[in-house]
Amino acid sequence: MGENIFTDIYNKVIGFFRQTDAEETAKDTACNRLRVVLMQDRTNLNPQLLEKMRKELIELLSKYVEMDKDALELNFEQEGEQMALMLSIPVLRAKSAEDIEKALEEELEEKPEDAETETKDADSETEDENVEEDEAAEEEESEEEISKEDENKSEDEK
Amino acid sequence: MTGRVIVITSGKGGVGKTTTNANIGTALAREGKKVVMIDTDLGLRNLDLLLGLENRIVYTIVDVVEKRCKLKQALVKDKKNPNLCLLAAAQTRDKSAVTQEQLKEICEELQKDFDFILVDCPAGIEQGFQNAIAGASEAIVVTTPEMSAVRDADRIIGLLEAKEEIKSYRLLINRVRPNLIKSNDMMSVDDVVEILSAKLIGIIPEDTGIITSTNKGEPIVNDEKSLAGRAYKNVAQRILGNEVPYLDLEAETSVVAKFKKFLANLVGKDKVDSTAGGKEK
Repeated sequence: MGENIFTDIYNKVIGFFRQTDAEETAKDTACNRLRVVLMQDRTNLNPQLLEKMRKELIELLSKYVEMDKDALELNFEQEGEQMALMLSIPVLRAKSAEDIEKALEEELEEKPEDAETETKDADSETEDENVEEDEAAEEEESEEEISKEDENKSEDEK
Repeated sequence: MTGRVIVITSGKGGVGKTTTNANIGTALAREGKKVVMIDTDLGLRNLDLLLGLENRIVYTIVDVVEKRCKLKQALVKDKKNPNLCLLAAAQTRDKSAVTQEQLKEICEELQKDFDFILVDCPAGIEQGFQNAIAGASEAIVVTTPEMSAVRDADRIIGLLEAKEEIKSYRLLINRVRPNLIKSNDMMSVDDVVEILSAKLIGIIPEDTGIITSTNKGEPIVNDEKSLAGRAYKNVAQRILGNEVPYLDLEAETSVVAKFKKFLANLVGKDKVDSTAGGKEK
């Protein structure tokens, strides 16, 4: 009986420590925050610029794939000695070859004017058309495609 | 003789630049080297206090630059060690009183007579910092395992790397608290070294003895039993090119080690030294 009580207490104590182990320690938080802030210090890539880069990447990539724009993540991560720029894009659906060509053509036509806003509009238009055209096909496809979500692309920072 | 000019810098204030300077300088002088320390923190001088020389200063670096005295007249000899000298900063002037060129000239002049010229750099990355590194070819970057100090050290390292004259720099991590590192509440030495990707030259534990030694105006390396003092002596050895293993701070500061020290104190003073000596290994 006595032993049981002790093992019980022991397990509780161990469990308590395991719980705190699983959480991020103050040291880890410090290291991670420092890595990000040093990356910004070293490259002059402040949050505003990162946000701009994110927007431009969305613009560029949405010519080729249809994605969850709000869920796109762009972060710096340390991989051993090297800093990597991690881009995580939840892909909803790959675009068909025709749509891609269309988007590229439209971009060429509209480039001389306000490139940023115009191409964005063009992109969303083609997406809408797209949806109308293959509505039926899409429903079947989407379930398969969803499993391909969260494709990670990494680009070396330097 | 061409002495080595080493600048001791940190970016952030209060991490222990001046304490490091006083202790490394004293430790090198105890090894028989001729050492001169230059305080370049014009307007906020403190190195004289840490060495207990505040009442002996007649001329300062500004007097030398403005030709009111010769360089040798301005050097203040240490109380204990004749190998050790201080060139004090002026307390009444600001950083613009001495230029980079003038500091470089002073360093070159001192290189003829001394083995080591240790330049105590002011906090910050402005003119005071630029002046201090002007004559140096080596640097020791002092930091602590805290985010703000590491970030500032990173800035300093960037600036040192951009400066051609600085041939090498090494990292000294001060105020290390082994118990906090053990409980994962503080960044470890390895973390800091990895984040800054710099070469290490010393690990100094947080030591209350630093406060009392500052109060007395006597560098802690003169206290044979102090852990921080021993760590600083090891730094001096590494500067001299000798390979010295790093102290096992966790073991040294453990409850068991403290208890042993307490017991040794009870037994008597003769045995204290022998047990303390034994534990060093």
